[in-house]
Amino acid sequence: MVNWMTLSPELFYGLVMTAVFMVLCLVPANPRRDHATALILAAVGLAVTVGATGMRGDLFVDTYRVDLFSQVFKVMLSLGLLLVVLLCSELAGVDEKRHALVYLLLSLCTLAMMMLVSAVNLVTIYVALELSSYCLYVLVFLRKGQARSAQTAIRYFLVGASASAVMLFGLALIYGAARTTSVVALSAALPQLISRPDVLTGLLMVLGGFFFKLALFPFHFWAPDVYEGAANQVAAYIATASKVATVAVLIRIVAMAGDGSLLLVRALAALAIVSMTVGNLTAIVQKDFKRMLAYSTIAHGGYILLGILSMSPEGFSAAVFYAFTVLVLKFSCFFVLAKVATDGANLSIDGLAGLHRRSPLLAMVLMMALFALAGIPPTIGFTGKLFIFTAAMAKGHLVLVLIAMFNVVVSLYYYLLAIKAAYLTEPAKNLPAIRLSVGERLLAGALVAVTVCAGIFPAPLLDLAEAAVRTVI
Amino acid sequence: MPIAYANFPYLTTILLTCVAGLLIILFLPAEQTRQIKRVSAVCAGVTLAISLYLFVAYDHAAGGWQFAEKVAWVPSLGIHYFNAVDGFSLPMLLLTGIVFFTGVLTMWELELRVKEFFALIILLVTGVFGLFMSLDLFFIFVWFDVSLFPMYLLIAVWGSTRKEYAAMKLTLYLLAGSALILPGIVYLVVKSGMFTFDLTVLMEPGTFTPSEQKLAFFLFYIGFGILAAVWPFHTWSPVGHVAAPTAVSMIHAGVLMKIGAFGILRLGMFLCPVGWQYWAPLMALLATVGIVYGVLAGLRQTDLKYVIGYSSVSHMGVVGLGLATMTVSGLNGAVFQMFAHGVMTALFFSSVGYIYDRTHTKAIAELGGLSRSMPLAAGFFIVAALAGIGVPCLASFWAELLVFIAAFKVYPVYAVFAVGALAVSALFMLRVVQRTCYGPPAERVAQLPDISPGLAVPRAILVSVIVLFGLFPSLMYNLIQTASIPFIGRLPW
Repeated sequence: MVNWMTLSPELFYGLVMTAVFMVLCLVPANPRRDHATALILAAVGLAVTVGATGMRGDLFVDTYRVDLFSQVFKVMLSLGLLLVVLLCSELAGVDEKRHALVYLLLSLCTLAMMMLVSAVNLVTIYVALELSSYCLYVLVFLRKGQARSAQTAIRYFLVGASASAVMLFGLALIYGAARTTSVVALSAALPQLISRPDVLTGLLMVLGGFFFKLALFPFHFWAPDVYEGAANQVAAYIATASKVATVAVLIRIVAMAGDGSLLLVRALAALAIVSMTVGNLTAIVQKDFKRMLAYSTIAHGGYILLGILSMSPEGFSAAVFYAFTVLVLKFSCFFVLAKVATDGANLSIDGLAGLHRRSPLLAMVLMMALFALAGIPPTIGFTGKLFIFTAAMAKGHLVLVLIAMFNVVVSLYYYLLAIKAAYLTEPAKNLPAIRLSVGERLLAGALVAVTVCAGIFPAPLLDLAEAAVRTVI
Repeated sequence: MPIAYANFPYLTTILLTCVAGLLIILFLPAEQTRQIKRVSAVCAGVTLAISLYLFVAYDHAAGGWQFAEKVAWVPSLGIHYFNAVDGFSLPMLLLTGIVFFTGVLTMWELELRVKEFFALIILLVTGVFGLFMSLDLFFIFVWFDVSLFPMYLLIAVWGSTRKEYAAMKLTLYLLAGSALILPGIVYLVVKSGMFTFDLTVLMEPGTFTPSEQKLAFFLFYIGFGILAAVWPFHTWSPVGHVAAPTAVSMIHAGVLMKIGAFGILRLGMFLCPVGWQYWAPLMALLATVGIVYGVLAGLRQTDLKYVIGYSSVSHMGVVGLGLATMTVSGLNGAVFQMFAHGVMTALFFSSVGYIYDRTHTKAIAELGGLSRSMPLAAGFFIVAALAGIGVPCLASFWAELLVFIAAFKVYPVYAVFAVGALAVSALFMLRVVQRTCYGPPAERVAQLPDISPGLAVPRAILVSVIVLFGLFPSLMYNLIQTASIPFIGRLPW
């Protein structure tokens, strides 16, 4: 007998939200009504998910597990959705008739990612991953009046489909060796099998599918185009919620392999180094703010991988903590972006010029977020990196940590360029001040407060992450 | 070393004063520049008063860590909020208080984006205070970065002379240093196997193997050495000093560079004495090259601020040489020199800053006869120059004397080079004074007003500090002794 209460978040997003927005897609469009509905539902969804953090259970013939780990990630996902919906008050990048469709796809995608973080069977994982990917393909396509977005969406789809194919092949190899698709059974079997070349290849191929989602080298090159081509709010969703879900599955899969394989660790270490270095070096030359953020995401994927490849509870919980960090910080950047580019257009880094005059609050949000991304204390970005580096160092990865630290310095350069644009450069023509509603002011204040406070008092969040990770290993 | 806990959290009060000042300024409207400056001055004054009190109230007989306060912060990682001061950090606290207070007063005439300027200055100084008093490696690193990143905006917005280039160069250099320090800290914490960031625990002898100490000391030495302008990592320093606005140059050359030397002392030498012993010859070599190089490069400069910038490189070399001698006298001299150079260079930059504000030139060739048109301003400049030369009865004299006494015993060859270079620099500096302050007044300076009494106050404070510790060096010497003698005494050799 399935206890449906354990599935309350999934049921809410799967039935209530999708149903409401399907109806709204059919009736004549009304952007204000659609946004208000989405806001209320996303807020309720967050409340439902928070309420369900205590739920436990194995469902559907043990393919679906509800535990603290999955529930913590579901809270982050619904938080991500709520934040992105908050940004949608000026969804200028998408045709008004399609706003309800955007909300529908966003909720569906959130549902898929919730399934992803709870799935404990390779087949379920694959299905959930595909569902979320397809939602994103369509979302990228929905940008108004740009042939570019169609081109981007198709490219995104093609890269995504190839990554899926690679992943499926890997799944077949693992199944062939271990004769099971259950993650629990695999955790018992894989540590003995991991030294076999076919199993290791299979595992790396499966991970490849997730590297695509996390935009890690060598599956990263879609990210800048997609960020640039998609509507700002959609790009925000891809940069935040979608990354969080991927971290969860990566942890599950890597934890499954155990820390027996030196080769696996080395392969992951190489990928982490290349991702960090490529992401940071390429970000330096970007002129478009979203492209810069995309490359910085690639680099941050590398840092997260550093925590995961430590294969210790500390490393995994550091990765979870860092996933939350990325969620908050990347959202802060996109919040500023969406408010500066109210017409829904892309924003060049020079377009930030004069921001400190146009809106001191937004300039501060941006500065804090970028300094935090660069790992400057006392922000959450620094604390997250410290946890990751401590975990990696405990496993003796001194050289990796040094490389990562030098990447942090490189990244500081382009973050400083954006800060310079916001604080120093004067715009060519006088731009009007940016008006923020009371809610947006509160949100801006909250983002800065979380960035600083969670950096200074990380203990509660870290303890939660550790408790969550203990349920996986 | 004994730890004496405080019955009143003086050290936290210093930090909270800064934080309170920062918050008040953030909530004041940007137009109320007078209020903002007053708040900053009060905030700086309170911190100066507390550090002065601590400097006087420190119990020399008891020694050790005093005024300690400790609260668990992230227990699962062994991070504590742990502050205390000893004979090494007290002079630094006092220096920070003096430079902060005089720096704020120096900038009294600022009109461009006043609110942001003072907010950033206070943030920066909070980091500096925190670093000097913290005994937890996590917090030391946090404070280190807090004191660095406001520099970028401070130089890039309010600076002059290639300011954006200088700001970027400085920030990247200094944070490249922190890219070595953080792995060094994490490495030691992990290797200790104790899961604590507590410096007093980690510094127990035998915690780290010699090879671990050698590696970690190297990371700390280069990481903090960049900030201390150790040759060949000094190139950010003259450029940054020249570009920075006056108060920022003062705080930067006066206090921030000391953080570098202090970091080598506190993290490198306290935690890794064997590594210190291993790398000391390299430290001495680089320090001597820095002294000679700073002097030679200074000879070629035509810009007053560059002259001071390069003299800072050679004076910080003296600190490095003192640390490398591994003797009580050398340590005393190094810490004394950190204090003396901090005050001296703050005076230097503040008097040059005033001259530049009025004449709009820093070129030595375009100045002349300053002593006639602005005698008081020229007087301050001359005192700073004499202190920089190391004239007896001024604070730096004693500091350099102590360092060279030790250096002649341990590294006689290096000492000869260093002293020779400093003698050359003294001649050069006198020539600079002669060109700018005496002779026929240059056209652009002839009609300018002298420094006003209000703006003379901060410079006068700095002069009196230099003279006070020059006449009564034992005030400082006896305090540093309480830390250096036990520290050298407990070394493993």
